[in-house]
Amino acid sequence: MKIFWSFTRQAFQFASVYRFNFFVEIFLTFLRMYGIYWVWRILYTQKPGAFGVDMKQMVTYGVLGMALQILVWSRVQWYMASQVKSGAIDTDLMKPLDFHIHMLARSLGETIVGGSLALPGLIFSFFVLGVSLPADPGTAVAFFISLVLGFLVIFHLNFMLGSLAVLTLDIRHISWAYNSIVRFFGGQLVPLWLFPPTLAAIANILPFQSTFAIPMSIYIGKIAGADIFRALGFQLSWMVVLVLSSRLLWTWAHRRLVVQGG
Amino acid sequence: MDGLRLYIRLVGISMQARLQYRADFIMGAFSVIMLNVINLALIGIIVYRFVALNGWNIWQLFFLYCLWLLGHSLYSLFFWHFWDLEEDLIRGTFDQFLLRPASVFIQYIGREVQYIGFADMFVAITGIVLAYINLDLHWSPLLWSFLPLMVISGTLIEMTLNLMMACISFWTGRSSIALDMIMEFNMLVQHYPIDIFSTWFRVVVTGFLPVAFMNYYPALILLGKVDKTSVPWIGFLSPIVALLLVGLTSIVWHFAMRRYSSSGG
Repeated sequence: MKIFWSFTRQAFQFASVYRFNFFVEIFLTFLRMYGIYWVWRILYTQKPGAFGVDMKQMVTYGVLGMALQILVWSRVQWYMASQVKSGAIDTDLMKPLDFHIHMLARSLGETIVGGSLALPGLIFSFFVLGVSLPADPGTAVAFFISLVLGFLVIFHLNFMLGSLAVLTLDIRHISWAYNSIVRFFGGQLVPLWLFPPTLAAIANILPFQSTFAIPMSIYIGKIAGADIFRALGFQLSWMVVLVLSSRLLWTWAHRRLVVQGG
Repeated sequence: MDGLRLYIRLVGISMQARLQYRADFIMGAFSVIMLNVINLALIGIIVYRFVALNGWNIWQLFFLYCLWLLGHSLYSLFFWHFWDLEEDLIRGTFDQFLLRPASVFIQYIGREVQYIGFADMFVAITGIVLAYINLDLHWSPLLWSFLPLMVISGTLIEMTLNLMMACISFWTGRSSIALDMIMEFNMLVQHYPIDIFSTWFRVVVTGFLPVAFMNYYPALILLGKVDKTSVPWIGFLSPIVALLLVGLTSIVWHFAMRRYSSSGG
């Protein structure tokens, strides 16, 4: 466990080297929150009944989407791709920790960075944009559990994308499409209940809503009561499936790994 | 004119180098088209329940998005490598431009083409044509000639702002965060009409980082929505804004060159 945290700390330190960048990024996160705030606010003024939730909930959903985008978004696929490309992945494989767990530790470190970037924006949004807190402690706990599961789901999806880098070397272009699909079907910007029925049905099967729509809907109380357990169960099942397929894919990719020169 | 000839030659060489990787292009073009289609779908879903966003219907929003994208496509085609300027300075690879007997500026901007920009252009033109048909627009020849002027101004605005930001790395060694900042403002201006935002934002994207001149102000004229602003002719200012930025950028570049000292890579 000690070694796990040391990799986490390392990733955190690496990402927080440039202090000026850090402040600008906090501002940019807030700018994104500000943008979506106005979109929902204007639409709400136009047609108050169309959301199915009130304006405070809608704005909270939008702002959380921007926070979660940097909070849970692991960059493990980039790390894996660049290590494969430079050949430095052999040093990772020699480390005294299972590669998959090592990557998880790294991603957790990045999440702490993401959290410290998102938190100022969230606090500011609470005062300026009227973002609300979870309705009661139970909701907050459910949100937190859901968030952890959401992180594990997106981590494993990204880990699998990173494993593909072993075979194709370059995942830069494919990640543009991948990122936008995850955000779209995850309900990061537009909540799934506003989707046309067919698209909503597709999004409801895919794992991506675990990362955004489910934790965010729990937070604003759109998913409540017994539905919370059903949603957490959905996330948990996807997580199990993704952990197993990540292990399988990595084992396979590892066998095919050819380290160049180096 | 020698500069122009040199530039065209450099771009030709970069193009040939790039064409070596065809699979890469297909994958990249596919991803770019996918990304834009998803962005447009999101705008579509937002508007589908509400008919319009602050008086902009779905095709007008698509037009706004695609007009920005068309200007941007030329930027991404020819100038994408501004993102890597800091890397060039850190590694010392920038020195190669100083060793050759030709303008450093021309050599630098002609350094690379990123022809995935063609995919952006494809999406943008398709979107504009579809919007033109669906909105039942009938532009006068004057407005038609105005369109390419606006697109080129848009490209120049994005190019100059990004190059000036990239030049920060001559002083601080780092510039990517400044380019990120421009991108973030650009994203908001591309996706949403700026009249939904509060005053400070509109002031910033009009007067300080004038990216609203890439799509919003010209679109007001092209879509006949000039009643949105108290200055109906403001869209015609895009070329002037672009030229002012070109002037400013050449000054910044001049100082950057004086400032430059190699990392000795």
